[in-house]
Amino acid sequence: MIRNFIISGSGGQGVLSIGTILANIFMLSNKYVSFCPCYGAEMRGGAVNCEINASDTEILSLQNKEVDIVVALNQTSFDKFISKVKKNGTIIVNSSLAKINKTRDDIKYIFAPMTQEATKLGNIKTTNSIALGIISKITDNFSMEKVKKAYEKILKDKTELIQKNLEAYLIGYNYLQERQ
Amino acid sequence: MSEKELLKGNIAIAKAALNCGCTCYFGYPITPQTEIGEYLSQKMQEKNLAYVCAESEIAAINMALGAASTGAKVMTSSSSCAVSLMQEAISYACSDELPIVVVNVMRAGPGQGYIFPSQGDYNQATIGGGNGDYHTIVLSPSNVQECIDLTYKAFHLAQKYRNPVILLADGLLGQMAEPAELTENPYPQIDNSSWRLDGANSRPSRNIHSLEPNQTKLNQHIINLYKKYELIEQNECDYEEYLCQDAQVIFVAFGSLSRHVKSVCNHYRKNGIKAGLFRPKSLYPFPYKKLNELSRKTPIFIDVEMNMGQMLKDIRLAILSNAKISFIGKPTGNWLREEEIINAADNIIKEYYASI
Repeated sequence: MIRNFIISGSGGQGVLSIGTILANIFMLSNKYVSFCPCYGAEMRGGAVNCEINASDTEILSLQNKEVDIVVALNQTSFDKFISKVKKNGTIIVNSSLAKINKTRDDIKYIFAPMTQEATKLGNIKTTNSIALGIISKITDNFSMEKVKKAYEKILKDKTELIQKNLEAYLIGYNYLQERQ
Repeated sequence: MSEKELLKGNIAIAKAALNCGCTCYFGYPITPQTEIGEYLSQKMQEKNLAYVCAESEIAAINMALGAASTGAKVMTSSSSCAVSLMQEAISYACSDELPIVVVNVMRAGPGQGYIFPSQGDYNQATIGGGNGDYHTIVLSPSNVQECIDLTYKAFHLAQKYRNPVILLADGLLGQMAEPAELTENPYPQIDNSSWRLDGANSRPSRNIHSLEPNQTKLNQHIINLYKKYELIEQNECDYEEYLCQDAQVIFVAFGSLSRHVKSVCNHYRKNGIKAGLFRPKSLYPFPYKKLNELSRKTPIFIDVEMNMGQMLKDIRLAILSNAKISFIGKPTGNWLREEEIINAADNIIKEYYASI
């Protein structure tokens, strides 16, 4: 198994947080994993992305030309990273902040109004967790126990926030099913 | 045994330093290594250890020299253009025989450059930017686990040889996270009671200085230093060999870039070309002898670096004159990807076989 991801958005959307949580889930599943962040000097508002590689064997490629799955949390990152999706790969787009537009026919598109769903849930900061739920659904069906443990590693004792994020995760996880 | 944790290279270095008894840290923030100081600023305060965010890198390393002379385990960390500011003090530390650990998480140069990762300080680290006859030990990690292992080793070698050790990481490794285990420090404590400045009480007084106006004594001092360097060169060469024994072509690379090169070797092996990777983990002492041995059997060597070929001269010194040596590299930015290395290497290999 080799999987690689790019998660992209703007500073403040939880791009690096969710990337770290994803990397932790793979670590807890006894996979090799690497997490490479890329961001500008801004704390909030600047472009930010991270690349996560997971594998059954030692990770050698830290920066890939193309990846299996791209998550784009806003329009800028949708435009920028659409070319980084492998043939037959998937791009998961936050359609609350990006226009639904399919320019390639060799990849799969998933559009979900993540910001809107997170706001409905009562915490806009859980947008990233909805994306993680979708990733889980279309890849490995991470066990809920590992997902919870990964959140606990990052959010420590903020139990309410962990709970909210897990709810958001499940919204993402069930999103595609409900649409079918 | 502690369990694996997802750690950034920078944090791994900081944790390992604390875990092997670093009692004093002096530094000044600079991307891409700021997390080292950030982490230590909190942890060292909690443990009542000395953390100083100095007014400049020059101040930081000179504080490190002062603290090291008292026998404390000392570290400073910085990045490229600011490590340049430390060169004078590193030369002093070599002459004073002070065990300090200097972490350089490389970014792009020359001059100010920018925060893009790079391997452009190979020359500065291995040759040295200070004055006079001296060497610093240089260790190069390629993954986060090695950030821990080689930090332990850096402290150990610094104490063992009473010499500065540079841990030469890069911006990508400093920023990236991987599962790693904060193992126990495997090295023994080294007694420094024979030289440290800890108050004379009733024993004869000591001092540590590099000024020596007596010509004979200065000559002898430097000759003694070089006897020590000879020992280091004999004992401390460290390297990884990957599929080198039967290789038709050997890639030479160090640091995190070597992982891409290892993947290139796997690609060639799958396609019937016997490729191997030789990765020096100690850049000083450079493993000349081992590379020389390999060049008796392997005709092509390809140096791959994220700089303009700074390690080439060491490889040239190591390998036999009838072996062909080529270089693939670029100065900074995204690491050379496998397909970029393969494209360039294909031509080198083809050219070689067309010429014989």
